[in-house]
Amino acid sequence: MMTLAELLLSIVKIAIILGFILNFAGLSVWADRRQSAMVQHRVGPNRAVVTVPTLALRLAFVGGAVAVGGALAAFFWWDAPGHEQSRVALASTVAVGVTWSWLLGLSSHVRDHGANNGFESLVGARDPRVYFYAGVVAHVAVFVVVNVLLPAPGTAAAASSPAIVWGPGLAGMLAAAAILVAAVSAAWRLPDGRTELRLAGTLHAVADTVKAFLKEDLTPKRADRLLYGMAPLISMTTALVTVAVVPFGSSFCFEDQNGDGHVNFAELGALADVTGPTGACPAGYTTVPFQIADLDIGLLFIFAVAGTGIIGAALAGWASDSKPALLGGLRATSQMVSYEVALGLAIVGMLMVCGTVNLREIVDWQGQNTWGIFAQPLAFILFFASAVAETKRIPFDLPEGESELGAGYFIEYSGGKWLLFMVGEYAEFVFSSALIVTLFFGGYHLPFLRGDGIHVAFGDTVLYQASLSHLTVTVLHFFAFCGKTVGFVFFHLFIRWTLPRFRYDQLMKLGWTRLLPLTLVNILGTGAVLLAIDAASPRVAAVVDLIADLSQGVIAAGGMVLGGLTIRWLLAPPRRQRVVVSTTAKLVDAAGGVKPSRMQA
Amino acid sequence: MSTTTPSAALEQNQPWTKRAVRYDAPTVVPRPKRTIGVQTYVPAWAKGTGITMKNFFTNFKERMLGQKRDPVLENFDGGVTTIEYPEEKRPYPERYRGLHRLTVREDESPRCVACLCCSTACPAQCIHIVPAEYPEGDPRRGYERYPTVFVIDELRCIFCGFCVEACPCDAIRMDTGMHPVPYDSREQFIYRRDLMMQFTDRTGQRQTSNDRAEPGDPDHPGITRNNDKH
Repeated sequence: MMTLAELLLSIVKIAIILGFILNFAGLSVWADRRQSAMVQHRVGPNRAVVTVPTLALRLAFVGGAVAVGGALAAFFWWDAPGHEQSRVALASTVAVGVTWSWLLGLSSHVRDHGANNGFESLVGARDPRVYFYAGVVAHVAVFVVVNVLLPAPGTAAAASSPAIVWGPGLAGMLAAAAILVAAVSAAWRLPDGRTELRLAGTLHAVADTVKAFLKEDLTPKRADRLLYGMAPLISMTTALVTVAVVPFGSSFCFEDQNGDGHVNFAELGALADVTGPTGACPAGYTTVPFQIADLDIGLLFIFAVAGTGIIGAALAGWASDSKPALLGGLRATSQMVSYEVALGLAIVGMLMVCGTVNLREIVDWQGQNTWGIFAQPLAFILFFASAVAETKRIPFDLPEGESELGAGYFIEYSGGKWLLFMVGEYAEFVFSSALIVTLFFGGYHLPFLRGDGIHVAFGDTVLYQASLSHLTVTVLHFFAFCGKTVGFVFFHLFIRWTLPRFRYDQLMKLGWTRLLPLTLVNILGTGAVLLAIDAASPRVAAVVDLIADLSQGVIAAGGMVLGGLTIRWLLAPPRRQRVVVSTTAKLVDAAGGVKPSRMQA
Repeated sequence: MSTTTPSAALEQNQPWTKRAVRYDAPTVVPRPKRTIGVQTYVPAWAKGTGITMKNFFTNFKERMLGQKRDPVLENFDGGVTTIEYPEEKRPYPERYRGLHRLTVREDESPRCVACLCCSTACPAQCIHIVPAEYPEGDPRRGYERYPTVFVIDELRCIFCGFCVEACPCDAIRMDTGMHPVPYDSREQFIYRRDLMMQFTDRTGQRQTSNDRAEPGDPDHPGITRNNDKH
């Protein structure tokens, strides 16, 4: 029997994952359909605006900073004992990071919009890049100070050292103070009176949703009303149901105080201090995985349910009583059936390597060894191509080919039902990104982050080690999963923005004569390699393990380099060439540039 | 004797004909090889996605960081140069013929002398003027008239500028730099004297830079009603 607390936890998990998927689906509709204009050097529609009294915004800034900073300070102060060193490091890193980001942002804003006071002009006097380089130096200094000067954890010196006793709390308060100062500084710079909130144009997604619901919901005269109404629901629910088995984080371990093997409300506060290297809960603890349903047949469940998604498209095409819709529905059906085969066979290699279809075990295998993309590169490409086809997206969006079918199977839909199709399509697309991350990009794992902390090791050589508490690791895992999924969604978007649509026969040919044989080749090859490794001496296995560790190193180093390059690119000044030839340009030049003015009638 | 055909004339390079273009032997452009890279579609895909990403991230970054380029002054080296009308407006060129304005004298009275040249010149017949004499005792009485009614129907106007050309007093100008605003009734397009006297040129001036001599100005005696020699 499930206890009330467990029921509550399940509801919270469902809310989290549905909130993530649906919100992000809405956002990606906006990003995909609207922001793609940026690719063509145009501004997408971003006029949706909410005018907020600046006072409310300032209060929100400061209130948010107090909440986040307070939570951080409390976390660093009261987190499980035994990890003081890493807590000092984390808290100082947050403090330093927030400080340099704040100074950097302030400097660049002051340079563009002028200073309000002496401090701001002082900050704006330096190039924003200076703050970034100073921040890097400060980060290195923090790392050195914490790892070299603080006494090693577990020693007698550590127990009595004031830096260990008071350090985490003080560093946490420093981080909270930095966040608060940054928020107050940002609130200070808001214009008086009212502020127009555009949120980078994301409000347009909200406006689009409202508009779609306010539109007339038409049903063709001779449509099958029941099936016509059911089709969008089917195609949306399949996408949402399949998410149930995707692990979106590791698990919380609650102490089983009364020994009944369930979590009670009283035990919710008794989170484990630390877990083992694998992240598995120690004995006497109850596991609450970050996953709605931890099914042993995880992957099979996904294929079974996702297969019914075909019915949604087929029903929509049939029930609409329209020729383009019927053709689109037929195309969708045959395409999804064809690619389902390749999709299923592509991951067989991965299943052979991991020896399970349970998604959590697949993820954990990747955490202990290497990411799936290194173990099964060919399978990744095949799976990815099939997944794009399965979600009916460009370059495989034949079912909705505008040039020949209008909008394909949902051509007759309007208003809320059309919106359901759209959100369903994008939910499916966020889900397929989540699945690819789970299968090939290590799920919620980060390189060298084990259940008990950071552990940089190649083979038996340990280069660096820092223990982290169970709470820290779990939170990091959750954000790692969300971040990877968001990144992959964007990767999907870029493909859509780049490629033209295939022809229908090319699509079928690709599916049946290229992808399918290649998946079989992949299975054969994987089997051969697995057998060879099994038969080889333990030395070979050790070398394979070392290669796996190296691949983790490659990921970590690549991530760091990418982060550094990104910041360098962000800080690069824009190159501008001013040409004043026409009389218009002269007028603008005299006025000091094209200045935005209030909208007039 | 042989008759010269046009082609023969070309061949002989006669000076009055255009020299025949001699093409070299056509170069054979080799058919691109269907290499494995072409067939797998991957290199082209990677290149294209790279371009897409570059464009997107650069434009998004510049927009988010407030590094938006000026759409008029800096629009020659790529990037987003959208003018976000109506919040941003591209000014019309200097000599753009926009809405009419009636220039004023120093005492804020209309410069127009109601000579009807503009309404006569107007091909669209959109100008209607009712002239009147200045009141008794006004120094201008007997020299000039003034328009009690000066109406331009901006819906009929074809913005040819003939009225401006026809005006002998520099009283009507089209240098406001404004286009007619879309209204919802025809009545609103009838621009009257006082409204057009409120319009300014691009620099905010309601007068013109051309001098004007008032009656009685000793530097510009002009005709007087007492000088019957004229």
